[in-house]
Amino acid sequence: MARKALVLVIVFALSVPVVGIFAGGAAEEDGIVLQFPSFWVGQDSKAEPMEQLIGEFNAMYEGEIRVQVEPTPDTDGYRQTINTRLAAGDLPDIFIFQPDPTTMRYYEAEGVLMDFADELHGGWGDRFQESQMNAATVDGMVKSIPYEIGVTPIWYNTRLFEEAGIDEFPTTFEEFWEATDALKDAGITPTSQMTGGANAWTSMLWYSHIIGSIGGPDAWDRPLGHPQYEQAAEILLRLYSDGNTTGDAVGGDADVSGSHYLAERTAIFSNGPWYIGRVAGDAPQVHEATQLAPAPAVEGGEHGHQVTFALSNLAAAHTDDPARRKAVVEFMEWMTKPEHVAMITEEAGSLFAIEYEIDPDVDPLLSEFVRVQNEAPFTLTDMERAFPVAVIQEFGGAIEMMVVGGASPAEFVEILKDAAED
Amino acid sequence: MTLHKNWKGITLFMLPVGVMYFTFFIYPLGYVFVLSTMSWSGFGPMEFVGLHNFRRLLGMTSFQFGLRNNLIWALSLGFIQVGLAAVVAMILARKPPFWRFLRTVYFLPTVISQVAIAMLWYTIYRENFGLLNTILRNMGLDQLAINWLGTFTTALPAVIAQQLFYIGYFMIIILAGVMSIPKSLYESAEIDGATVLQQEFYITIPMVRDIVVVAMTLAMAFGIRHFEATFLLTGGGPAHRTTTLGILLHRNLHAANYGRGNAIAAVLIVVGALIITVVRRLLSTRSAVEDAKQ
Repeated sequence: MARKALVLVIVFALSVPVVGIFAGGAAEEDGIVLQFPSFWVGQDSKAEPMEQLIGEFNAMYEGEIRVQVEPTPDTDGYRQTINTRLAAGDLPDIFIFQPDPTTMRYYEAEGVLMDFADELHGGWGDRFQESQMNAATVDGMVKSIPYEIGVTPIWYNTRLFEEAGIDEFPTTFEEFWEATDALKDAGITPTSQMTGGANAWTSMLWYSHIIGSIGGPDAWDRPLGHPQYEQAAEILLRLYSDGNTTGDAVGGDADVSGSHYLAERTAIFSNGPWYIGRVAGDAPQVHEATQLAPAPAVEGGEHGHQVTFALSNLAAAHTDDPARRKAVVEFMEWMTKPEHVAMITEEAGSLFAIEYEIDPDVDPLLSEFVRVQNEAPFTLTDMERAFPVAVIQEFGGAIEMMVVGGASPAEFVEILKDAAED
Repeated sequence: MTLHKNWKGITLFMLPVGVMYFTFFIYPLGYVFVLSTMSWSGFGPMEFVGLHNFRRLLGMTSFQFGLRNNLIWALSLGFIQVGLAAVVAMILARKPPFWRFLRTVYFLPTVISQVAIAMLWYTIYRENFGLLNTILRNMGLDQLAINWLGTFTTALPAVIAQQLFYIGYFMIIILAGVMSIPKSLYESAEIDGATVLQQEFYITIPMVRDIVVVAMTLAMAFGIRHFEATFLLTGGGPAHRTTTLGILLHRNLHAANYGRGNAIAAVLIVVGALIITVVRRLLSTRSAVEDAKQ
């Protein structure tokens, strides 16, 4: 027994300095180590370009800064973990911040999130799209860096437009209705719409575009009683009337809406860049013929804007250590360089809240997304992010009440208002 | 009242089941009713709102349609589906050619996922390429080729109809009952000159009446809690015309409106129990065996 205890004491005594030497050596060699749990790993489309970028960063700052990625491929689990750690005030050095009403509350908490406002004012902030930077700014604080976004412009099939004798996508609704008549005369259903699914996605995007044209960048700040909602509903109703969409749009889901566009039964559609792969794979001729445009403007309304939404921002834990703070900012600046996000876009098809160009040879349609995004005078978020879930759940049914049930646009708005009271 | 002489043993045996029943049924059931009087988003404290959730539900068109549709579902499954199942069971009990094969064919859909079946019917009902409209168009009936799931008048019948055909579960229950009726009763009736139809009306139906009532009770319970097919085929649309309380419950829970969601669940429980009790009271008379004894 005594011999065993002696052996244990010797092993322990020897191991302590050995562990200390290795641990101390590693810390000295790496400099500041920043932990970065990320779901852009494994099978994620951004895994490879992200690994490359972070690897290059670590190589450039060898011995000074090292970003250590903690792979967390489960995005739902990631969100829950970050939300829990936000609540506990115990955050990783760098992390992916998914902006929503829950996470944005932590902007107000002191000493939880790092505020990048000072650094961004020094020129770094100029590379971001203004609307996205505004969305990430609360009371002058920028506690998350706008990063990956979704853009949902209007898609149109140039070949079908040519068949109908239309040269370019209409810029006003007056021209748009003339174009829809021309398409119908050519035997083509003008638009894809849908009232089904969780949020009547395609029609909800149309409604958001129209609201943007009527109300400008701050349109969603207006309450549901504002006349803009009824005016937009009148246009939405017309999109469903007179053969301007397919008969199965009522009750149809995203598959119905998308498949009509892919099969060239409809000439106009709306969706984000994630749909490029589907079009390229299932309907290469449609992919080749598709171009993107802003929605037409209402009379006297705005034109050129896009409906976008933040998917993932980058954020960091607050620190009082200036060296550590500098390291974090260096990394954030690196990740948001236009050439770096362009590389991720080209390889993974994701879009970013930064003004940048990509190689048009990579995918002309992807390049179109970057173009319409850069050209937009302003962006506004989609309706889904502007209203409570109860309103969005009622949106498709409210369209159905207008289209099939004979409700007026004013009654459409009343249905939404009623849902908003929940 | 005197205690049973083995009350300790009985209590000991009943205790595990009792604890589980209380933990996993009585307590959650009570909690549903408690939550139905609260306003709660899942975070933060609950706020007691009394009957506000119920009053709000009564004023909602979606709830009115949901309640109506649940009743229609319960009655359709209870009377039409079980009725069809009873007819098929009586035919198969007479052992026509291939009756074993047909029994399997009718029962097979019961083991297939509701999701798969709903998706199958979705492709049948689709306006542009659906099988139903393709047949109608090929027959020159283009005017009848409509958006079955997107039209107010046809959506609910279309969703219910796709469910009514799947009679296998109830057919097998009723068939077992019909097969157990002594052959001698039919032989006697035949000697007395009773037709096949008369034999079914005066022997089979009275003898399996209680089994049919049980099948109807089960079918109505399935109807009251119906969710999957409607959720997958129409999502409750168009404009709530096919919605059910189950779908509204799901929507409210998804919107983190737990008070309202639980109020719907409470209504579902009460209405379900009420309908089943009333229908059983109306249909369950004394059994044929008891009649015969007298």
